[in-house]
Amino acid sequence: MSPVVQFWLLIIVLAVGTWSMRSWPIILHGRVPHPPWLERVLRHVPVAALTALVVPGALYLHERSTYSFAPARTIAAVIALVVAWRTKNTLATLAVGMAALWVAQWALGALG
Amino acid sequence: MRHSVRMSKTRYSFITGAKGVAPILIGVAPFGLVAGAAIRHAGFGLAESTGMSVIVFAGASQIAATTLFGSGAPLWVALCTALIINARMFIYSVSIAPVLAEAPAWARPILGYMLVDQNYAATMTDGRDHDDVDIVWYYVGGGVALWVVWQICSVAGALLGPFIPMSWGLDFAVPLVFLAMLAPAMKDKTAVGVAVVTGVAAAVLVPLLPLQSGLIVAILGGMGFGAWIDRPKAGESR
Repeated sequence: MSPVVQFWLLIIVLAVGTWSMRSWPIILHGRVPHPPWLERVLRHVPVAALTALVVPGALYLHERSTYSFAPARTIAAVIALVVAWRTKNTLATLAVGMAALWVAQWALGALG
Repeated sequence: MRHSVRMSKTRYSFITGAKGVAPILIGVAPFGLVAGAAIRHAGFGLAESTGMSVIVFAGASQIAATTLFGSGAPLWVALCTALIINARMFIYSVSIAPVLAEAPAWARPILGYMLVDQNYAATMTDGRDHDDVDIVWYYVGGGVALWVVWQICSVAGALLGPFIPMSWGLDFAVPLVFLAMLAPAMKDKTAVGVAVVTGVAAAVLVPLLPLQSGLIVAILGGMGFGAWIDRPKAGESR
């Protein structure tokens, strides 16, 4: 198989696998039983998922599948956390967080 | 703004959903550019870039599969890595299914296709906090906005990827927006506890475990912790 054919095969199998994982629970909802313990577990998915998506991005720089500690990102994330908590405003959090990242990158660069 | 006589509830819900993900689009854009640029770097072109973005539509797995395949990894390794990265979407799907229960059977496969981190997060937090929207249309509005931006940016990335300055750190917008969604979702002590457990697990495990599987382990750990706190106590009726 040529690389192009292989890559299209990769695309198609990945698409089918991904679609299956994200669709079947939505499609089958109401047709399979929903035990009470499942409700208890699922209640916490949004907070757990959001935290798992925030923390690595706030601590590390992820390049070419290696993670390196990024202090400027961590400082900016802590400042953004305070803004998010106090204002509950997405745009304010985004603006302050990005500005804090640039200032922290510049300051850490100027120091070191 | 509430929906008024001038705007149908469907339209209002769709627009509110699109607005719900709007701040995230700033972070999705550079991500799409990276996905497009990765395709070029792996030696493929616009057809592969567009094909992948349209039929897979799952950013992190697209970048991982492309980069691995492009660096000479066997097909099955690239495929398994990408599928493990997407396994969290199964958890999202189980979790969001009751929220989308009003959707008719024919629409559900399409709703599944639209399920990505950003749309899940916005619907489960901001969407459910709006008591005046049709939540299915809110979800569709967010999904369509993300889909359009993703396609445009991955094409742009395939065309001009090598010229994007990565030093701006625009990818940082993604965790920032999730952070902004997380703050109002922490409504009680259990939620804070779940966030702390998941956060520590993610900080330790994500760089440690292969194939980004640390993300899934951290989410499962946080869910398990929350369920354990909420367990029915002895002598208490459920």
